Amino acid sequence: MQIEEVLGNRLRVKILKILNQVKELNVSEIARRINANHKTTMKHLKILENEGILYHKRFGRIRLYRFNINSAKARAIQSLMENWDKSEEPAKSFRTTVK
Amino acid sequence: MSANRSVFKDEAKLDINYVPNRLPHREAEMRLLTEFFSFALAAPGKMAQRVLVVGDVGTGKTALSQRFGADITQQAKQRGINLHCIHVNCRQYRGSLFLILHYAVSTFHPTFPKRGFSAEELLNIFLQVLDEQNAHVILVLDELESLIEREGAEPVYKLTRLQEARFGKPQRISLICILKSLKSIEGLDPSTRSTLQSNIIRLEPYSREQLIDILNDRVQLAFKPFTVPEETVNLIAEIARSEGGNARFAIELLWRAGKYADAEDFSYVPPEFVRKAVSSIYAIARKSDLATLTLHEKLLLLGLARFFKENSDRAYASLTEVERTYAVVCEEFGVQPHTHTQLWKYLQMLSALGIIKKSVSSAGQRGRTTLLCLPSIPVKELEKELTTLLEKEVEGG
Repeated sequence: MQIEEVLGNRLRVKILKILNQVKELNVSEIARRINANHKTTMKHLKILENEGILYHKRFGRIRLYRFNINSAKARAIQSLMENWDKSEEPAKSFRTTVK
Repeated sequence: MSANRSVFKDEAKLDINYVPNRLPHREAEMRLLTEFFSFALAAPGKMAQRVLVVGDVGTGKTALSQRFGADITQQAKQRGINLHCIHVNCRQYRGSLFLILHYAVSTFHPTFPKRGFSAEELLNIFLQVLDEQNAHVILVLDELESLIEREGAEPVYKLTRLQEARFGKPQRISLICILKSLKSIEGLDPSTRSTLQSNIIRLEPYSREQLIDILNDRVQLAFKPFTVPEETVNLIAEIARSEGGNARFAIELLWRAGKYADAEDFSYVPPEFVRKAVSSIYAIARKSDLATLTLHEKLLLLGLARFFKENSDRAYASLTEVERTYAVVCEEFGVQPHTHTQLWKYLQMLSALGIIKKSVSSAGQRGRTTLLCLPSIPVKELEKELTTLLEKEVEGG
């Protein structure tokens, strides 16, 4: 899948954001937090897993999803999310140098 | 009182949760515990150990196991062994094996879900987690009485016989069970008891001299120099000795006496403040217990306190009488009262915690009535404390 397809979905971005915050979570809890049903959540988790961004571990009936730190895509997304909320100065300095 | 005029140097060293680096007069017990668990450093996975630590309140059971846990995990780390010591107070987890195991699993997977499986499944999950991480655990079950009281012999049996279904695999879980007395495991079936009783460490109540040593250690850690005279320490040790050699009580007295000194602007802690502290400490000794109760346990206890307040000449109340005052309390707080069977369960819990005493009416009365009494807490204090807690809880939703 292309990057715009993978990251072009609000629920998938929400899933990535949540997992970046709490490290790992089971399916029902992810569904609850993104306010979606189990089937939809599973669909998005599978897409993200197929892309190698996430992986899961099974404990009996429980599946815990987390970022696949071996994947460069996963690391890039985590870095993007960590930097996203950091406050940044508007690009004033750029304007002055253009002058 | 400004901080620089305080008699304290570091109050936190008198906190109930503070574990000192050195436990005076428990050196032999510490050595024994280290001996029992020497395999955990030499050959982890080859065997699992079960140790019982038995002793009265304030004899250092929890401190001993926590100090030991911290020391052994540090040594294991230095040797590259993935050893964890998980200390669980069974009473805090309401004597439920499920909640205890959930806490243990959540030390490895903090967001592990709380629903959707049984205690047995959770035990298997716990082992799976340990296998995956090649980790070994010393599970310290503090106040094991609560677990036995609520769930009987089954959980202890399961925890001690884990390896039978894992033949050939490394042994992952060792147990340290902390009990006030061996009486509570008398009811267990002989096979469970026999697996537990092989290693017992008994902690005898501290003597007056031992208490003085403990107090002097803490005075050095927590107070500024020359603020606590010898007579004050001696008096505290004397009182704590009469309370069954209870070191926790002694340390609490020391802290409280220091607080009185600060409040009255004294530069030292005279024995008089110890006496003052004693009279205040009984009333609030169980404050922390009260906060852990559920809403209806609190309501029921408040009902009981109100009953004794109105009938100050009575030492015992029948369950029927308490149910009536409980219903009134529920109405007051706008809560639907629970049924008789539910209340019975709450009483079991309150009795297990030692807050109430329960007995069955003897000969001379028709039928068997459960009689309840409040052995150690002044009714007025209890009512005040519970009302504050309940108001917070009910208003907070």
